[in-house]
Amino acid sequence: MLDVGRHPDIDLMAYSEVEKVEGESGAFKATIRRKARYVEEDRCTGCGACKEKCPTVLPDAFNMGLGTRKAIYSWFAQGIPSTHTIDPAHCRQLNGKKCGICQKVCQANAVNFDQKDRIVELDVGAIVVASGYKVFDPSQIPEYQYRQIPNVITAIEFERLLSASGPTAGHLHRPSDLLVEAEMEALEKDVKKSEKALDKFEQKYGQASAAFYDAYQKGAYEGDEDRGKWAEKYVAHLALVEPLDALKREAEGFDVAKRLAFVQCVGSRDFRFYPFCSGYCCMHSIKEAIIANEHERETTSVIFGMDIRAVGKGFEEYKIRGGNQSGITYVRGRVAEITEGPQRNPVVTYEDTRERKVISRDFDLVILATACAPSEGVERLAEILGIERNRFGFFKTGTSQSLDTTRPGIFACGCAHGPMDIPESVAQASGAAARAAQIVTAASMRKAS
Amino acid sequence: MSKDVLVIGGGIAGIQASLDLAEMGIHVYLVESLPSIGGKMAQLDKTFPTNDCAI
Ligand SMILES: Cc1cc2nc3c(=O)[nH]c(=O)nc-3n(C[C@H](O)[C@H](O)[C@H](O)COP(=O)(O)OP(=O)(O)OC[C@H]3O[C@@H](n4cnc5c(N)ncnc54)[C@H](O)[C@@H]3O)c2cc1C
Ligand code: SF4
Repeated sequence: MLDVGRHPDIDLMAYSEVEKVEGESGAFKATIRRKARYVEEDRCTGCGACKEKCPTVLPDAFNMGLGTRKAIYSWFAQGIPSTHTIDPAHCRQLNGKKCGICQKVCQANAVNFDQKDRIVELDVGAIVVASGYKVFDPSQIPEYQYRQIPNVITAIEFERLLSASGPTAGHLHRPSDLLVEAEMEALEKDVKKSEKALDKFEQKYGQASAAFYDAYQKGAYEGDEDRGKWAEKYVAHLALVEPLDALKREAEGFDVAKRLAFVQCVGSRDFRFYPFCSGYCCMHSIKEAIIANEHERETTSVIFGMDIRAVGKGFEEYKIRGGNQSGITYVRGRVAEITEGPQRNPVVTYEDTRERKVISRDFDLVILATACAPSEGVERLAEILGIERNRFGFFKTGTSQSLDTTRPGIFACGCAHGPMDIPESVAQASGAAARAAQIVTAASMRKAS
Repeated sequence: MSKDVLVIGGGIAGIQASLDLAEMGIHVYLVESLPSIGGKMAQLDKTFPTNDCAI
C-alpha cells in the first residue's frame, strides 16, 4: 500500500469517483469527481489532533460499526493517504451549527470548510476495473436472526474483533457485553451530572441527600419549594443508580467468547440468494478459528458446513492442522436456525448428517460466513463504463479471455467479476495489467513509428 | 491515443494492477471511492493460508 502512495508513476485519487467515460479502446476520456474532504491533502500531517477534539461521535464503518469514530476521521490508522476527511453528512459546521473546533486545533492549517468537489478529466488508453465486492447482508435470512441476536455476527465483524487495532484491541468481548458496557457508560455520565446537582443542595443545606429525603418523606419540609426540587432530583438520581448497579452486577459475570460456532454458506450455495460457492469463506472460518485459539488456548470452535472447500496451495493441510492443533471440530450439516438462550447465548439448531439427528447446541458467539455479493454502486459503474453484468450482478467477463469485459479496452480483476481469494485476485490483477499494457504500449509504439 | 491507464478500485486487486503497470513504466491513475486504499484486505486481521498480517 505504501508503495502505491510513493510510486512516481501512480497518481492516487482516493475519495474520488468515476462519473463519465467516453471514447474507445486506446483513447478513453474519463471524468473523475474528486470529492471535497474539507481537509487539504497536502497540508494534513495525519496527526489526529482534530479528531480528539471533534464533538460528533459516529459508528465506525471501518470497524463494521463495532466502535466509534468522529465526524473528522481517518478511514483507518495506517491508511494511504493518511489525510483526514470530514464527513459532510454529520459535521456540525457543515450543517449550519456553530463548531469549527477541528479547524482551531489543526496546527497545519489544513481544515478548509470552503473546499469544493473538483472535476478532473483524464485521457487513458485502457481501464482496469477492480471495484471488488460487498459482504452479503445476512439479515435477509430471517432464521439466523442476525441483528436480532447481538452475539450472532458476520465473519468480517469478527475480523475486526480479532484485530489488535480493532475496537476491542483483539479481545473477544461479546457484542451483547459491549452493548451493556456502552449503556453503563451513558448511565455513569448521567449519574455524574445528577450527583453534581445534588451536591449543590447538600452544600446549601449541610445535609446528605439520603438523610434529607428520609425526613422529606415524613413530611418535614411541606411547602418548601426549593427542598421540593431537591427531592425531585434525588428521586431521579435513584432512578439512574439502581439500573446502573444492576448492570454492574451483570457485568461482573462477563467473560471473553470461548465457545465459537461458524456457520458456512450464508447466502452462498443457496438458491434463494447466490447458487455459487464464494470460494474463500471455508478458509476464512478456519483462519479465524485458528487465530481465536491463538489468543486464548482454551477456545474451541465448531465449523458447520455441507463440506469444507479447501482448494488452493496448502489449504487442505491448513484445515487439518486447524483440527489437530487449534480446537476446531468440523460438523457436516447445514444450520437450520439460530435462537437465543439464557445468558444471551446463541443456540444453533442443525441436522448432524453423520449422527442422523437434529441437535441444538449453545455457544458464546456465532460467526456467519457470508457470501461474496456485487459491490455497492455496481449498477451505476456498469452504466458509466458501458459494460455488462452477469446474472448475479458482477461484471461480465469472457470465457476464453477471462479478464475481458464486454467493452474492448476495459478489463476486470479480483472480486469485481466474481468471488475469489487474495492470491487469485493478485494473479488476476497482474493479468489485467498485462492486458491493459498491450493496448497502451501498442499505442505508444505506433506513435513512435 | 493515450498511453496511461485508469484503475478503478484500490483494494488488493487494484493495488497490484497499479503497481504492475507502474513497474512497466506506464502511468496509472488509481481511483478509489473511500478515503484510503486497501479495500477489504485492510479490514482483515491476518490472511490465510500463511496467517501473515493483512497490511
Ligand atoms: C471475512 C473475510 C475474511 C477474508 N479472509 C481472507 C484471507 O484470509 N485470505 C484471502 O486470500 N482472502 C480472504 N478474504 C477474501 C478477500 O477479502 C478478497 O479476496 C479480496 O479482498 C478481494 O480484493 P478486491 O481488490 O478484488 O476487492 P475489495 O477488497 O473489495 O476492493 C475493492 C475496492 O474498490 C473500491 N470501489 C468499489 N467501487 C468503487 C467505485 N465505483 N469507484 C472507485 N472505487 C470503488 C472499494 O472501496 C475497495 O477499496 C476474506 C473475505 C472475507 C469476507
Ligand atoms: S467456500 Fe465454503 S462456506 Fe463459502 S460458499 Fe463455498 S462451501 Fe460455502
